[in-house]
Amino acid sequence: MDEKFRVSQKLGLMFKTDDDIPKNIKSWAISQLHEKSPVLGIKSVSRVGSTTTPSKVMPWPESLQPDLEERARRWRIQRAFMELSRKEKKSNSEIQRNNQENLFGRTDELKFSHRNVYGNDQVRIRFMSFWTNHFTMGNIHDNQNVIGHAMDEAILANLNNHFSEMLYKVTTHPAMLIYLDNIWSAGENSKKAKDCRNKVDCQAGLNDNLGRELLELHTVSPSANYTEDDIRNSAKVLAGWGTMLEETLKDMRKQGKTTDHWNFFKKYYAEPGNKTVMGKTISSGKGGLRQLTDFLANHEHTIKHISTKLCRHFISDSPKNSDINQIANTWRQSKGDLDKIHSKVIELAILSKEAKFQWPMTWIFQVIRLSGATYIHGWDQIYNWYDDAIMGNNEIFEELGQSFWVSRQPNGYSSKKEEWLSGEMFERRVRFASAIFRGGDTKHSTEKIMDRIGASNSTRNLVNSVGSSKENRFIALMCSPELMGLESA
Amino acid sequence: MHKFNLTRRDFLKTTGASLFLAGMPISGYTKDKPPGTISVILLEGGMDGLTAVPPFGDPDLVRMRKIITPENYLKLNSFFGLHPSFKALAGLFANNQASVVHATSIPYLKRSHFEGQNWMEGGGLSPFSEKSGWLGRSLELANIPGRALSLDMPLILRGHNENDNFFPSSIRNSSKLKTKLIDAISMAHAKESADVYSKVSNKSKSGITNIPRDPSSLAKYAGKVMSQDDGPLASVIRIKQFDTHARQGADIGKHADRLSIIDDVIGGYREGLGDAWDRSIILTMTEFGRTVAVNGTTGTEHGYGTAGILAGGVISKSRVISQWPGLAKSDQFERRDLMSTIDYWSVCAACIEKALGLDHDLIASRVFLKPKLPRVFDYIFS
Repeated sequence: MDEKFRVSQKLGLMFKTDDDIPKNIKSWAISQLHEKSPVLGIKSVSRVGSTTTPSKVMPWPESLQPDLEERARRWRIQRAFMELSRKEKKSNSEIQRNNQENLFGRTDELKFSHRNVYGNDQVRIRFMSFWTNHFTMGNIHDNQNVIGHAMDEAILANLNNHFSEMLYKVTTHPAMLIYLDNIWSAGENSKKAKDCRNKVDCQAGLNDNLGRELLELHTVSPSANYTEDDIRNSAKVLAGWGTMLEETLKDMRKQGKTTDHWNFFKKYYAEPGNKTVMGKTISSGKGGLRQLTDFLANHEHTIKHISTKLCRHFISDSPKNSDINQIANTWRQSKGDLDKIHSKVIELAILSKEAKFQWPMTWIFQVIRLSGATYIHGWDQIYNWYDDAIMGNNEIFEELGQSFWVSRQPNGYSSKKEEWLSGEMFERRVRFASAIFRGGDTKHSTEKIMDRIGASNSTRNLVNSVGSSKENRFIALMCSPELMGLESA
Repeated sequence: MHKFNLTRRDFLKTTGASLFLAGMPISGYTKDKPPGTISVILLEGGMDGLTAVPPFGDPDLVRMRKIITPENYLKLNSFFGLHPSFKALAGLFANNQASVVHATSIPYLKRSHFEGQNWMEGGGLSPFSEKSGWLGRSLELANIPGRALSLDMPLILRGHNENDNFFPSSIRNSSKLKTKLIDAISMAHAKESADVYSKVSNKSKSGITNIPRDPSSLAKYAGKVMSQDDGPLASVIRIKQFDTHARQGADIGKHADRLSIIDDVIGGYREGLGDAWDRSIILTMTEFGRTVAVNGTTGTEHGYGTAGILAGGVISKSRVISQWPGLAKSDQFERRDLMSTIDYWSVCAACIEKALGLDHDLIASRVFLKPKLPRVFDYIFS
């Protein structure tokens, strides 16, 4: 494959049919880290016969990207409706209407797809997805209303910042605090726990879920050999953080002297006194968490853990120690400056000629961009799309077996091919390639795509061996080892 | 605090269990065919054995976890009860076709899901030590060619080069798989994934159609194909979300919902297997149990000892197999968890011995890499 396409396969989402190909691929990839592309997408798709026409590519409307307060407000309406529906029966259409008006998961998931398909910031998007996977937040308790917000404002907004900042912003975001059960956690010596002690049916105490995963998954990993006490103390630092979205502004002001869902610390639930986590003394109060996340963010085990993960995602399934060490050194020298770290990843990924297997979601976006297919419906069609040829955006993710909006385990999706290579996953890629070709009204022919990307001889041989059927040739190309990221340069 | 009741249908939709089938003999394969079939239900997140099979005879149970202990349990004997979510299982118990092993666990002490889940599938000497899984190694040892069915390739079945997997797909408007096309792509992938593609090729010929994805239907489907002469000898169903850190519930609630999925799956197997039930064993396994004490958010934290559920026609007498360690603080593991007094690898080994007709010592050394693994076969199957 042509070097420029090889790099955009490994680090980006492939050049779209109308993209200019940059002259210097390395400087382009690094400059992508600062690319300020608005969220681009399409309002609608129309289909007549075999012609599929998207509306003009435009920035996403503001009204579909509400702020946190609006998302919380809709969440409260949704919950009140559910509460009511248990007392009095609601019709299906009422339930549906309520979901459509007040839940944001499907809207945000479509925005994510549009970003991947139409965005001019492909490398940036890939790093956003890496970190979104690292900080897994699943949909429980209608958390879907805020996951997309965390992605935009905690992760993407901090992509050019230090890791310590991203870590703190994600850890305190309601999407994470709800997903890992921290919102109800109270210190054992908190006022809340003490008040509860003499009451019937009152429960208050520590929940160590987030405290544990903060160490195990988000930072140092078990290689740091922390103890159960460290986990509990980490949970004690976290006790008091987070609100159910149900808190109204007035209630929040009363409890936490703040009206910000993202910056909400309930002193009433907090564990008094200093805590010690992995030898580090953390002071009491709201500021304690920042001390903890700053300590963890540049811990030697965090650096090794995440440097390895970055290598495995962007460079090779079995990364070389020298690559891991170079990223780790960049991390140490820059104190976790993500710009420098990401630039180093880009540099090493280009130098390495090793193949890198791509996630199902990355692959499907690359197929769509390379062929110029229209396979994702518009933002006006989130709840009224049904088409015999093109599935709804949410159905596509379901069939891919990968989505950031489903409830899943907090360790996220593996980057290794052995976790994904199976007959079933292969069959799905074959079927998706077929469906994209049949319904997507592709702009570039298989031959043109092969010429453009400089397909290898083995890929050309494969495509030629399946005969003259245009569909078969398209499937063979997109499912070739080269396009799946299984062929070394 | 919100209580959120999902309707049964919503619940199943979001539940998504996955099925893996393996050990499918080549057509006409009868030579030394193993005597039975084995099915493993993987419970991810840490099942609470004290809720599933409450030891109501232990006075500390109610004292320490009243709000999460079911009141309407079925008495299994004078000491242990069965959670009311287990309806199909209760029937099997009454017919001497199910048993429970209690205060047991794989020997994993560190309480990380990801290490624990890797170990319960890998079955080696420590988490991440094996690239293959214990069931895959067992099938290999029994010389059974086979394949697995599911969306991702589970570690538990790896190590068996004939494995394939299957999970019903429904990608609209895609063409029927064409054998010639698949064969061509398969050849191009000769280096690492040709095996995988050739399984897709087999499937393109076999004409498997849509199967509902809810756990009970998947189990029923698994049972049905396992009951056929050339059907698979092993299956794995994975159920997620046992990790109830908050608002765990008691008779009903989050953990109870999970337990009823186990019950649906066992019921599905019973129905699907038909006459083959008589040569089948099903066992659950989970990475760890949960803390004895209730935490501050009416849930439980990651623990150690738990319970294992066994069902199948090869069981001749229902019982609860346990060396009960007690629930008092001083009896707990690290003063917080139920102690494990039976190594669950021994239970797995007994089930392999029964289903695949392999010698215990061979299983102990070649599958679990522990030549001295105790044999508990007689406690379960005598």
